[in-house]
Amino acid sequence: MSGAADREAVFPTRQSLGIMKAKLKGAETGHSLLKRKSEALTKRFREMTRRIDEAKRKMGRVMQVAAFSLAEVNYAVGGDIGYQVQESVKSARFRIRTKQENVSGVLLPTFESYLTEGNNDFGLTGLGKGGQQVQRCRETYTRAVESLVELASLQTAFVILDEVIKVVNRRVNAIEHVIIPRTENTIKYINSELDELDREEFYRLKKVANKKQRDNAAADAEMKARREALEKNDPGALKQDSGPADILAAEDDDDVIF
Amino acid sequence: MEGLLFNVNNGYVEGIVRGYRNSLLTTPAYSNLTQCETIDDLKLQLGPAYGDFLASLPPNPSTSALASKTTDKLISEFRYVRANATGSLAKFMDYVTYGYMIDNVALLITGTLHERDTRELLERCHPLGWFETMPVLCVATNVEELYNSVLIETPLAPYFKGSLSHQDLDELNIEIVRNTLYKNYLEDFHNFVNTHSDMAGTPTAEVMSNILEFEADRRAINITLNSFGTELTKADRNKLYPTFGKLYPEGTLMLSRADDVEGVRLAVDGVHDYKTFFEAVSMGGSSGPGNMGGGSADGKSLEDMFYQKEMEISKDAFTRQFTYAIIYAWVKLREQEIRNITWIAECIAQNQKDRIGNFISVF
Repeated sequence: MSGAADREAVFPTRQSLGIMKAKLKGAETGHSLLKRKSEALTKRFREMTRRIDEAKRKMGRVMQVAAFSLAEVNYAVGGDIGYQVQESVKSARFRIRTKQENVSGVLLPTFESYLTEGNNDFGLTGLGKGGQQVQRCRETYTRAVESLVELASLQTAFVILDEVIKVVNRRVNAIEHVIIPRTENTIKYINSELDELDREEFYRLKKVANKKQRDNAAADAEMKARREALEKNDPGALKQDSGPADILAAEDDDDVIF
Repeated sequence: MEGLLFNVNNGYVEGIVRGYRNSLLTTPAYSNLTQCETIDDLKLQLGPAYGDFLASLPPNPSTSALASKTTDKLISEFRYVRANATGSLAKFMDYVTYGYMIDNVALLITGTLHERDTRELLERCHPLGWFETMPVLCVATNVEELYNSVLIETPLAPYFKGSLSHQDLDELNIEIVRNTLYKNYLEDFHNFVNTHSDMAGTPTAEVMSNILEFEADRRAINITLNSFGTELTKADRNKLYPTFGKLYPEGTLMLSRADDVEGVRLAVDGVHDYKTFFEAVSMGGSSGPGNMGGGSADGKSLEDMFYQKEMEISKDAFTRQFTYAIIYAWVKLREQEIRNITWIAECIAQNQKDRIGNFISVF
């Protein structure tokens, strides 16, 4: 990453340096916040993966037990009760409601199962024989559906969380590897440009001072030469001149240079 | 005396049925079945007994396909026997089918009540309970029409008449309708074997009474146990008890008043068999009777013991000669065999080998 090319198109002025510095600070704060969010989400994600694993295993076991209890029903009743059960059911006994859970700013839907009370539509199925097995089978299947709902809730959250973690990580990486270096580069560039300007300015001043000095020296030398020439031509005049000379008429006074 | 002329009309049928009985699976055969690793193995093991019927099954068939194929064998054998039966034996065999017919009609009533296309239901009906005019019932679009067609078209009319009106079909739970019909059926069957001139006083009456009484008691006990915790009132429950059997009348009266399992246990205390069942159950499983196994492999439930008892009674029926009861017993034994095969197949298919021994084998 050669810094020279990757910088923002700004004029290297002190004002934009200030803006850039503020921007860098903002980016660093945002980066640390996002990093923390991503870590929190990842932690949650790991935990969820573990729970999904557990739930899947549990579901396998529960479904096996449930399927077996249906076999028991078939054995005890000696026939198919499916149709009768389907037809005698009027309203759902097992229901779910959805809730939202907030995990570091991410809304995850969770499903919660509950049984409606007093809703036993096929309580009399298998009255003559096998009724107990039918009820037991229903209970095992209720448990099976419960674990299915749990798994569904976890899976949904898993997918959403996965998406969110990807987005957050992308942002973290973008800030870390693009925005911050670029801002830093810009600052560096502005600084170097400003330094360059400073140096130029200094050099220029030095040049001006040098020239002035030279000019002064030349003027001094000329003055001196003139005076000497004057003295040679009229030595008294100079003395006369110099003694009671009119102070106000002193036109050849040197400039006072500090 | 009854043996003198029995074989004139019924000797062939009796011989056939005894032959069928000998082809039932025996305990060694069952133990072979339980050793199977896959359904295909099971199919192979069933080959000698069910050969042709299982041949059309695809490899690794589902347990329900297996069950329906094994049932097909029972049906075809039953139809053969029925075709060869004459006179009172034919009537007797019709009576055997009425029980299945009740289930079928109950199914159709359920379908009509919920305004389904009942023609689709015909496939689900038990083939033994099939009667020629059954498709006619599907024409009915509402319960009243259905009620009238049932009265006209089916042999079940007497069971409806007097105890159920068409409003009842609408209002009552289908299970109550079914059990009312079954109660009437059992009473009628019991009456039939004890009063028909060909059967009264013969071993048929004796054995069949025994079987039917057991069936009646079993239903009474089951209904009581299964009605706990449902909206079935005691008065309604009382109407579902058959009015004969070893428990009748004192036991059934006490059953009708029972509030819990303990009450049922007290009610059946007078009959030795049932008393021992309840004792075994209360010793074996703490979760109460009826819970099949309750998770433990060896604990037998009340239901299991009733089946066991039924099988023993059915097996004993074959010790008598010159009786129609062997047909009933054979059907029941074969049904149990189908259930056993299905159970073993389920256990193999679902890899639950620890419960595989939970079937009932009597031979």
